[in-house]
Amino acid sequence: MNVESPIDRSAGHRRFNLNQTFTTLLILLPFTCVCFLLRRFVLAALFPVVGFLLLVLARPARRHRPDALLVAFALVGFVLLLFLLLPILNLLLTTDGSRILAVVRDKSVDAALGVTLGAAMISTIVALAAGVPLGYVLARERFPGKAIVEGIIDMPVAVPQTIAGIALLFIFGRGGVLGAPLYTHFGAQLSDTLWGIVVAMLFVSTPFVVNLSRDGFMSVDPRMEYVARSLGASPVGACLRVTLPLTWRSLLSAAIMAWARATSEFGSIIVIAYYPKSINTLMFEWYNFFGYAHAKPLAALVLLIVLAIFITLRTVAGARRTVHTRNQT
Amino acid sequence: MIRLEGVSCEWAEFAIRDITLEVRNGDYLTIVGPTGAGKTLLLELILGIHYPDKGRILLDGVDVTHMPPEKRGIGMVYQDYLLFPHLDVARNMAFGLRYRQTPGNENESRVQRMARLLGIEHLLHRYPATLSGGEKQRVAIGRALVTEPRLLLLDEPLSALDWRNARRLRAEIQDLHRAKKLTIIHVTHDLAEVRAFGGQIALIDEGMLKAQGSAEDMLRRPPTVFAANFFGCVNVYEAQCIEDSALVQSGPLKAQRDGAEASSRFFIVVHPDEVTLLPSTLEERPNRLRGTASSLTDEGSYVSVVIDVNGLEGAVVVHTNRHTVSLLSLAPGSPVVADVGENLHVVAE
Repeated sequence: MNVESPIDRSAGHRRFNLNQTFTTLLILLPFTCVCFLLRRFVLAALFPVVGFLLLVLARPARRHRPDALLVAFALVGFVLLLFLLLPILNLLLTTDGSRILAVVRDKSVDAALGVTLGAAMISTIVALAAGVPLGYVLARERFPGKAIVEGIIDMPVAVPQTIAGIALLFIFGRGGVLGAPLYTHFGAQLSDTLWGIVVAMLFVSTPFVVNLSRDGFMSVDPRMEYVARSLGASPVGACLRVTLPLTWRSLLSAAIMAWARATSEFGSIIVIAYYPKSINTLMFEWYNFFGYAHAKPLAALVLLIVLAIFITLRTVAGARRTVHTRNQT
Repeated sequence: MIRLEGVSCEWAEFAIRDITLEVRNGDYLTIVGPTGAGKTLLLELILGIHYPDKGRILLDGVDVTHMPPEKRGIGMVYQDYLLFPHLDVARNMAFGLRYRQTPGNENESRVQRMARLLGIEHLLHRYPATLSGGEKQRVAIGRALVTEPRLLLLDEPLSALDWRNARRLRAEIQDLHRAKKLTIIHVTHDLAEVRAFGGQIALIDEGMLKAQGSAEDMLRRPPTVFAANFFGCVNVYEAQCIEDSALVQSGPLKAQRDGAEASSRFFIVVHPDEVTLLPSTLEERPNRLRGTASSLTDEGSYVSVVIDVNGLEGAVVVHTNRHTVSLLSLAPGSPVVADVGENLHVVAE
């Protein structure tokens, strides 16, 4: 998550001195990845060590040598970054481009992508519409039981996806608590429809919207709104002219995370709505029936699309911003 | 005119208890009290951010107890400025004008005029993050004043500034108050500010109004022991009534009872600034205290002398100047006379 804590920034002068070592490690990361992918394991392992030694030897008189403990932590983190990056890079770099193009032309892929991206967009919009106001309440008010509310909000993260799917079916399925009257009165049905997928996505992505928007609102001093009110702005006016302009990046981050989580949902979707086939369901099918080599170009394609959207939005949301902390005496 | 009638409110860890207070139009009221006394909460009640649990708030005779802040026309300036960081100075100052019935081109000239008045014309296109503390506070005051509020609330507006800036801005606020006949309620815990602003003073502690009066009275003749201690009248002595007379006595000090009832407890209060130090050879007179200097502390603009007086419970603290100290060759242990004369008053509780 890209919400930088104010503490990071206040330690800016220290980060500046540490910059070089850690940036060097970061530059080494892709080289190490490539060595790994070419199966040059010894070289890959040597890369960071040698690079780091060179750095230290080349600048023996550095006045601000980074703390040995921090460097050790960074090296451990380096391995973790490798762990995250390697599978993704491998998938993208080793897939045959022409096979990806063949997949693009596949009608079923087209439809499944449409289902997933469409449902993820709808669920993100609904999550924003309902979750941002709740995030605002949680940021502004203290009340007994607030911890319980926050616990409920976080709960979907801990509930295994298939369980979430089954639990949702008992409510929204055709015989479910809400599903049955919806079906008999309106003929509306959620299981095996796009709306079922939206509901499943909404369930898992809500925590991100509420938590991230709450953090965003908490960074705006409520007295800033008081001042706006004293100048004549209504509560809505203060929100639109002061709070929103100061938090839109947080809200965009919230939307990105919710959308990303929705797009990656699979477990509860196959329980609630195997059809219309969403992209993850389709991929699962291909993998199940034809093996992982067959599913690979599809996986690479989806990864490309999702990463492109993710990186673009994050770049927009990630530009530097000022943090306004409450300073009540 | 703003009037609070028996206002009580509890919010988070702060509370206001049964405060009745009146500020006439054009007055300058300074609210003082220790940290956590509920001063800011009181301002936010007046502003309309919180509503009182009990009591009424009247603004020019109209009951505004439950009126939202945007309808009250009250300006607020916080200690930490709270400028809108996404707007430049000009748009910060013009923020409230959208809600006033003024034609668009007049808005700009209003902002210009206010900026000129506050000496911040050259800052109009800068963003708050690039301003110094004093500049930010001028913008915050300008932003509040542009809308011509009928009451301006200042919540420790000078305490985040260095003393030079604070002194200059203090003078500017006083000029604005006089020139525009502004009604101002100013919250502070800084005694230097209290002395400088004058006007009316309300002393608040633990959410309650402990004392109220003109600055002169409150600082020179504090009406309660708490007020005396708060305003630096550290010489407080419990006194007994003298039979068949209107006098009270504490050791060698005697004072008029000022008509207070004989049943209450009496305290004699002597301000450290209003005692004259004299050579110990002088003859006896009423309220001329003979004693020994026990310590001298140079406080910068004055010298604080602690004197042990024969027959008086508790020492006498006297603020004097370096010249007097050298004239009397004062040193710890030297005998001295502290002449209180008529400069004492009695507090009955």
